[in-house]
Amino acid sequence: MFSYNLKLALLSFKRAPSLYFLVLLTLSIGVGLLCANLALVNSMAGDPIPEKSDQLFHVSMNTWPNDTPQAEPFHILRYREAMKIMASDIPKNATVFYASNVYARDSQSKSLQRFDSAVRATTPGFFALTKAPFAYGNGFAKSSGMEVVIGDELNKKIFAGKNSVGQTLELDGELLTIVGVLKPWSLRPLFYHATEGRAFNLTDDIYAPLETAIDLGWSIHARSASTVRYKGVQYTRDRDVFYLQAWVELENKNQQQAFQQYLDAYSQTLKDAGEHPLDIRNELRDVNAWLLEQKIVDQKVLAFTLASILFLCVCVFNASSLLLSRFHSAKFEFGLRRAVGASNKQMLMQGLTESVLLGAIAGLISLILSWLFLKLSTEFLPDLANIAVLDSKLLVLGMLLALITSVSSALYPLYRASRYTISAELK
Amino acid sequence: MLIMNNVSRIYRSDTIQTHALRDFSLEVKAGEFVAVTGPSGSGKSTFLNVAGLLDSFDQGEYKLDGVSVHGLQDDELSRLRNEKIGFIFQSYNLIPDYSIFDNIDMPLRYRGFNAAERKRRVDHALEKVGLASRADYLPSQLSGGQQQRVAIARALAGEPKILLADEPTGNLDSLMARQVMELLHNLNQEGTTIIMVTHDPDQAREVSRNIQIIDGQISDFKIYAPLHSDVPKDNTNVKEVLDV
Ligand SMILES: Nc1ncnc2c1ncn2[C@@H]1O[C@H](COP(=O)(O)OP(=O)(O)OP(=O)(O)O)[C@@H](O)[C@H]1O
Ligand SMILES: [Mg+2]
Repeated sequence: MFSYNLKLALLSFKRAPSLYFLVLLTLSIGVGLLCANLALVNSMAGDPIPEKSDQLFHVSMNTWPNDTPQAEPFHILRYREAMKIMASDIPKNATVFYASNVYARDSQSKSLQRFDSAVRATTPGFFALTKAPFAYGNGFAKSSGMEVVIGDELNKKIFAGKNSVGQTLELDGELLTIVGVLKPWSLRPLFYHATEGRAFNLTDDIYAPLETAIDLGWSIHARSASTVRYKGVQYTRDRDVFYLQAWVELENKNQQQAFQQYLDAYSQTLKDAGEHPLDIRNELRDVNAWLLEQKIVDQKVLAFTLASILFLCVCVFNASSLLLSRFHSAKFEFGLRRAVGASNKQMLMQGLTESVLLGAIAGLISLILSWLFLKLSTEFLPDLANIAVLDSKLLVLGMLLALITSVSSALYPLYRASRYTISAELK
Repeated sequence: MLIMNNVSRIYRSDTIQTHALRDFSLEVKAGEFVAVTGPSGSGKSTFLNVAGLLDSFDQGEYKLDGVSVHGLQDDELSRLRNEKIGFIFQSYNLIPDYSIFDNIDMPLRYRGFNAAERKRRVDHALEKVGLASRADYLPSQLSGGQQQRVAIARALAGEPKILLADEPTGNLDSLMARQVMELLHNLNQEGTTIIMVTHDPDQAREVSRNIQIIDGQISDFKIYAPLHSDVPKDNTNVKEVLDV
């Protein structure tokens, strides 16, 4: 019966090609537009590390040494707070880091071409905490040492994607050995550095040991704040320079409470020593709470999504009225089939087969359309480049949406058809 | 084969009620060939539609081949239609872009037969109506009489207990009508029960039994009374009066 219904559906398309073309176009544009929008929302509102996003906590502290300029906990920390955090054995993993930038080239290469590379100057716990995927080698074990881990893209640029572990990179004139190479790694949003509008940046090119980066004076390429003048990052260790971000992995409520107490006790000692006059306010926020706090989901995109949902509804009504006229003109054949013994159920199955087929085709077209929409929008708004991504989840969703809208467009026409008097069209 | 007891069918619209059938009682035995005559609008088609389960009825009792159809679900009614009843319409009702084969095959699809069985039945039915060589033609490539024979083949392919024909020769010239009538007579001879609505007194005379429907009821009179005061104007047409 299914193959017969399929045959009838194809015949039906052949009988009214322009009508079905319009239905397909209407549904595809509606679904495609919504899908493109959802792709943006999905990237923005997505959970970049769902396995343990509720166990990773960003640390904000309130340790500003005087009562200006601000009274809020700060998302960047001094070196001394960062080291205090690293000293705790409560978290399963912890990492502190800052962002920098260097020019990189293969020290063995004759080419003098150098690549502008984003650097994460970090403690080694970073790799386990973020579950950075290694293609070759592994992370560095200590916070100092002339070693680096590089990302997939840089490895492709410099070493054509080969296993480059053991090779030496020249980074701003210094020679560092590669100990690990990552697989392609996308985090959307880039939760570990979601501030300063960077939530949709790519993961870094180079991961270098924190102390070494400080010693080499690799400058801070992110927000920093200080109460004092200082010449370079190498002089920040014992000064009131706020520039390090901290993440800790706490596996349960007990650990969270213990770590909170640990931070608060530390702040209390500072306060007791007269080193800061403010309230003790240390905040731990898990990944999703932190991303929410950073308001990285664009309200304009949400509004546009709502608009495209409404637009899709209009498309469904439109398709429905087209199908209604199609069913109306097929009334004779409907009556005839009923008269010779097709039950309402069988006719319903026939109608559903047709709309599922229609939905499947509409789904394919709409995915192509949403790819085009996204392509077009990144053309005009290059900032969207890392956000406008159709992942497999969205492909499935787009397909489902197309099927659902197609079937729901046919529901009313099908209901009407089931109420036809069988004998009315047969003379 | 078919027993109706005091069956009523009332069409209601906002302003009027039409009693298309009123207290209609009839028994048709297996093997009979019944001709139904009567003036236009008297309820002949309504009777056939109710008998063929295409239309519901409001009151009374109807048994088809021993099955009381009152209160049956759509599934069961559809199955009865498919297995026990063959329809022949005045305007053939073939699907224009279907081949002759596919037209005859169509009802069999809803019966769950496999392809071989369907082909056997279609070929057999086509042979019976003398159109075996035309299986791949489209309806438009056949004459009216041939198209009606295809429609008969479609009705036959399901091997029904009863054939219901509503003015099967109404659109045909006398020669083609003759052929169709001969075909029906042959089928009846082979044992198929047939109920046929006709306006042709000669056709009515040929068959084993005649009934007249006037104003939704079987008339006992062989000659119509010219006017019923309670019958709408177009329902009585003096020219339709038959003498059987
Ligand atoms: N679907 C319907 N809705 C309302 N009234 C109907 C409907 N079908 C038939 N009627 C009415 O029921 C009555 C009987 O109609 P029916 O078609 O059975 O007559 P008939 O004897 O077949 O006439 P004809 O010889 O012209 O075919 C008529 O008055 C007709 O107007
Ligand atoms: Mg009639």
